[in-house]
Amino acid sequence: MISFITNFASAIESLAKIHRLLPWVIAYILLLFLPNLITATFGEYYVDLANRCCLFILLAVGLNIVKGFCGQVTVGHIGLYAIGAVTSALLAQNYGLPFWLSAPLAILVTCCAGLVVGLPSVRLEGAYLALATLGLGESVRIMIAVTPALGSSTGIMMIPAPTIGDYVIESFDHYFYLVMTAAIIGIYFSFVILNSSTGRAFKAIREDVIAASVSGINVPFYKLLAFVISAIYAGLAGALFAHMPPGYLHHNNFTVIEMVTLLLMVVLGGIGNIWGGVVGAIVVTVIYDQTKDYYFYQPLIFGITMVFLVVFMPRGIGGVIEQAIVKRKFIEKHEEQNLGTS
Amino acid sequence: MRNWTKFLAGLAAGGFVLSATAALADEIRVGITMRMVSENGQKYGQMVMDEIGLINEAGGINGHQIKATLMNDECKSDKGVANANKLIFQEKVHLLIGSTCSSVSLPIVDVTAKAQVPQIIPHSTNSQITQKGSAWVFRVPVSGRFYAGVNAKYVGENIGKKIAYICAADAASQNDCDAMQAQMKSQHGADPAYVAQVQEKEVDFRTHMQKIKSAGVDGIMVAALAETMSRALIQSYEAGIGTDVRRIGSSSASNAPVPKISGDAVKGVFYAAAYSNADTRPIAKLFNQMVKDRYGIHAPDHDFSQAYDLIRIVEIALNNSDLKLTNSSLAADRTAIRDAIANVKNYQGLASGPISFCAAATPQCRDGNKTPVLIAYKKGGEAFETEVLARVNMPEDFGL
Repeated sequence: MISFITNFASAIESLAKIHRLLPWVIAYILLLFLPNLITATFGEYYVDLANRCCLFILLAVGLNIVKGFCGQVTVGHIGLYAIGAVTSALLAQNYGLPFWLSAPLAILVTCCAGLVVGLPSVRLEGAYLALATLGLGESVRIMIAVTPALGSSTGIMMIPAPTIGDYVIESFDHYFYLVMTAAIIGIYFSFVILNSSTGRAFKAIREDVIAASVSGINVPFYKLLAFVISAIYAGLAGALFAHMPPGYLHHNNFTVIEMVTLLLMVVLGGIGNIWGGVVGAIVVTVIYDQTKDYYFYQPLIFGITMVFLVVFMPRGIGGVIEQAIVKRKFIEKHEEQNLGTS
Repeated sequence: MRNWTKFLAGLAAGGFVLSATAALADEIRVGITMRMVSENGQKYGQMVMDEIGLINEAGGINGHQIKATLMNDECKSDKGVANANKLIFQEKVHLLIGSTCSSVSLPIVDVTAKAQVPQIIPHSTNSQITQKGSAWVFRVPVSGRFYAGVNAKYVGENIGKKIAYICAADAASQNDCDAMQAQMKSQHGADPAYVAQVQEKEVDFRTHMQKIKSAGVDGIMVAALAETMSRALIQSYEAGIGTDVRRIGSSSASNAPVPKISGDAVKGVFYAAAYSNADTRPIAKLFNQMVKDRYGIHAPDHDFSQAYDLIRIVEIALNNSDLKLTNSSLAADRTAIRDAIANVKNYQGLASGPISFCAAATPQCRDGNKTPVLIAYKKGGEAFETEVLARVNMPEDFGL
């Protein structure tokens, strides 16, 4: 398995040497056929599941930027997701804006909210920051729940699906192209950020705030930037969720349970590991779906998984694979050296 | 290369296993999505499954077994929609039952309308469910618009017009609260004396109760889910509001945890519901005993009776449907079941009144039970007792 992943990674690296976008374009083209493959192999419903996976990938990758790259403990990400969803839904419903306008505006509003959620991070750290962001996230949900203009208890109904001209994007497979494109772009930009000077500043803050500050990094600025970038992902995911047929939002979709599930995705995949976040989102969504019949034991299974992960696999699936690849490369290099000396 | 072969083989095997679970011919597939998170919620779902099991044991429907799949939607719309999609597109159900919560039933109505699958609702009361104009939806419980009408009539004529409202943020309670205020205004010209919007699981009502006490109201309507309502009722007495101020419950006041948690505070609380366990009809007595024996419930609430009535209506409809039950006849079978449910007239079960449906996609046709019953608690605690205050047949277009 590890050798397969190693070979796969080196194949992608060689493609990237031709052009850095080539692996992404190839992946995108291959994914265009996924709905047909899924429908033929598993059935139409699993395209809907794939759509939900893509939404969670966006959320998990976004959360990884602030939590994994920058090391800020946030539990308010679900609140940003809610803001993106409700804003886009209301703009589309009350002002008749098409998805292509309401979604960017929702992202803009979520960015501002991200800035507010990030403000405590300037002064707070660890558990205190977690509590502050949890409070902010939950207050968003409560505000939606008690404000009739935001859907209140009945929710926001009949949110229009995205359209291109007269064509309505409402079937599972057509919506897949929309959410998959968003997910691919999200993952790509996550790598771009990670490999840029901004990404390095984030990592420096994660490793040691004082050392980063001494090195000339504007710590408050980069902390806030991490929250804002992560809010872009949450806002986009929220807008896509709101307009996904049947186009219905309710404040119950944004509770602490959803936030914990999102954290599980990131922890399972590996904090700070982009592909780990992707894998975590897919694994959790699929396992949740496949264990629906065992609803009685589901919370127990998820709770125990979280505890075991933190104890035995703190770096998640991504971390374990990364470690195995490094170990393998080390052994190979060692063997080559041994052969050379003998 | 070997890895790819293994991967593709695994994919094909997985696909075979998954696809084998769906599309089995010669059985009637029924999908159920309900709120299976509370003790009572699980028992409602279990009752539906048990009753279907009994139908199967008795030979099924015209020789066909019913395959029921029950899923938990946790009272969350996204989970409910995912369940509905899975049941419709993967399990390829002929009929969808659900959901418990109005906020879940509301979006599922759009899913079933688009996929053209008959949906029958066991518990959700929000009026808008049948006002969406779907030709595929049927509601067994009494709609919130009827509850408000009968409550407001009784309150205005027997209690007074100065009413305070405590409205929790869940869809059903909010709907009950809004509808009651609208009915008090239209029937008696009365504006609310006090309105408090509270969280779905609010724990502290003391500030509101003090304000209500100083407002000198005739009655307090507490529209909330069971546990929240109980807390509000207890705290209303702790705040010193006397028994001369009548407490009015929303439809969830009928849920068994309310008298159990509230104890003496529930005495005198009245509410509109679809079933009274104080019903003296033989069918009701048998039902009460059955629920007690099977689920250990001292007195079943109307969510139990509605789940039971729903299965009886489904049984009647399925027996009257000409089903082919082949893979190619799925759409025709779904239409046949829808038409058969629409043809159910004057079903006399446990419900407070006869349940009738018709073909038009209107609330008049699809809100089956139009007879709310007004019930008051005589005694709280584990061995609670109720009495019927009134039974009112409402005009079918009331509240529209």
